[in-house]
Amino acid sequence: MISVEGLTKKYGSTIAVDSLSFTVKPGSVTGFLGPNGSGKSTTMRCMIGLDSVQSGTALFDGKSYRELKKPLHEVGTLLDAGNAHSGRTARNHLRWLAMSNAMSPKRVDEVLELVGLMDVAKKRVGQFSLGMKQRLGIAAVMLGDPKVVILDEPANGLDPEGIRWIREMLKHLASQGRSVLVSSHLLSEMALMADDLIVIGKGRLITECTVSDFIDQYAKKWVVVKSPQLTSLVSLAQEQGMHVSMGSDLAEFHGVEAAMIGELAAKNNVVLHELSIQTGSLEDAFLEVTADAVQYHGHADTQSKGVGS
Amino acid sequence: MIALIRSEWLKLRTVRSNITMTCFAVILPLAITLLTTAFIDVYSVDDATVSVVLLGSGSLSVLLFGIIGVLAITQEYSQGTIRLTLAANPRRIRAYVAKGIVLAILSGGLTAFIILVGNTAGEAILDSRGAVGKLSNGDMGQAYLALIAMSVLVSLLGMAIGTLTRNPPSAVTVLVLWPLLLESLIGSLLSVAISESIFKWMPFQTGLNSLRLEDYEMDFGRWGSVGYFGLWILAISLFALARFKRHDA
Repeated sequence: MISVEGLTKKYGSTIAVDSLSFTVKPGSVTGFLGPNGSGKSTTMRCMIGLDSVQSGTALFDGKSYRELKKPLHEVGTLLDAGNAHSGRTARNHLRWLAMSNAMSPKRVDEVLELVGLMDVAKKRVGQFSLGMKQRLGIAAVMLGDPKVVILDEPANGLDPEGIRWIREMLKHLASQGRSVLVSSHLLSEMALMADDLIVIGKGRLITECTVSDFIDQYAKKWVVVKSPQLTSLVSLAQEQGMHVSMGSDLAEFHGVEAAMIGELAAKNNVVLHELSIQTGSLEDAFLEVTADAVQYHGHADTQSKGVGS
Repeated sequence: MIALIRSEWLKLRTVRSNITMTCFAVILPLAITLLTTAFIDVYSVDDATVSVVLLGSGSLSVLLFGIIGVLAITQEYSQGTIRLTLAANPRRIRAYVAKGIVLAILSGGLTAFIILVGNTAGEAILDSRGAVGKLSNGDMGQAYLALIAMSVLVSLLGMAIGTLTRNPPSAVTVLVLWPLLLESLIGSLLSVAISESIFKWMPFQTGLNSLRLEDYEMDFGRWGSVGYFGLWILAISLFALARFKRHDA
């Protein structure tokens, strides 16, 4: 269990993390979402004592990170896959970490096997692709078989097979009763792997809930209708003040219940071939909820002009 | 603590640049000593020849051990492993001390090895070339011990400077320019403003003075000189440690 309470981190006059509080339950994968610069990585660094905080605490089963005698046995963290000496071999990279927390050298080979890097154990990290470095970082996380796992963008650089592997692994770790906190920009992946979400913007907590509650609460819903008498149905709906957008063979009804459309069609003898409720994705919900917290915006038109000029 | 020391030792010996620098630090004084004793005019040899050459060339390795100290910590920052080091050992003082112990053992142990091999081989070469008379003297044992102490202290100084700058080139520059340029410059300026005797307070010069064979040439005596330099290293290390403890990784 991770309990973060009132965490505040400032860089000069800039507040990177602002009185942030949340909990990560054991037995679930908790997604940590926020736009670029929202303070996700800073929060993770503060949680394990790499960065000092102005106020607040982060406790792992009731203990602060600095109180842990052999922290790799309690908390496994992957903050940046690039945090490995390029001149050292993968095995030696894991060996020094294992030694620092009095682990057996056999454990190094076990985790290399687990992440599929056994064949390149004697290769220098500098020769690794980003995906291989991510796997090495995950091997380092798993060295101490920790109860808490914290990963910052673990899917970066992984191929589709690697992404699926990490998704299955994190779900498996959570099913073993571990607390898993993972940040990712791949929202479709997050929708598949996370049970709970913590969403932050500009260093502040926006919401903390389950993925389904988040989508229910923030994603748009609409009703899709297919009918051979679509034009008549749309006219009837518009007469009643409904907001409808018409496609070539279907119509989308916004802000109304599916039942209302069904009743309207039945009352007017309109045949329906499809009446379905559509819900926006996690990405839609995320963009909706963080719209005011995005610090860096891109503009497609400006970018294309810039490239061309 | 033993686990931490073993881990730091593994870190140090599994990076090629550290091994290269260590080889330089060992081979350089040995090569100079052996070549000098092989080619020197045997009629000019006295009881101090081997130790003078070994102590002179050994002071170069002292500086190289300092650079190894710089690399040991700045590599962690430049490669990002400092975050893993501190995540694995959140009690930062212990992490710093463990690295310092490894550096001290490495530099002290290798300097002892250089002295043993260099002195034995140098005397054997001179002996085989027909040099007459004593080839060793009473002061050289103490001077050799001072060389070991200086290697240890300068490696710790390198680590402290590296911790403060977090950047290999600037740390190496400070470490090399301090004895070669800064102390002479500052000493010259202060000697005009204050007194000629200010030079004896220059830490590196005083520390290196302890490597002279005759004790009477030193203002504070041999071990006083080492102790004075050691106090500077202690002060700089404590300052570096305070910053290391407080700063974001």
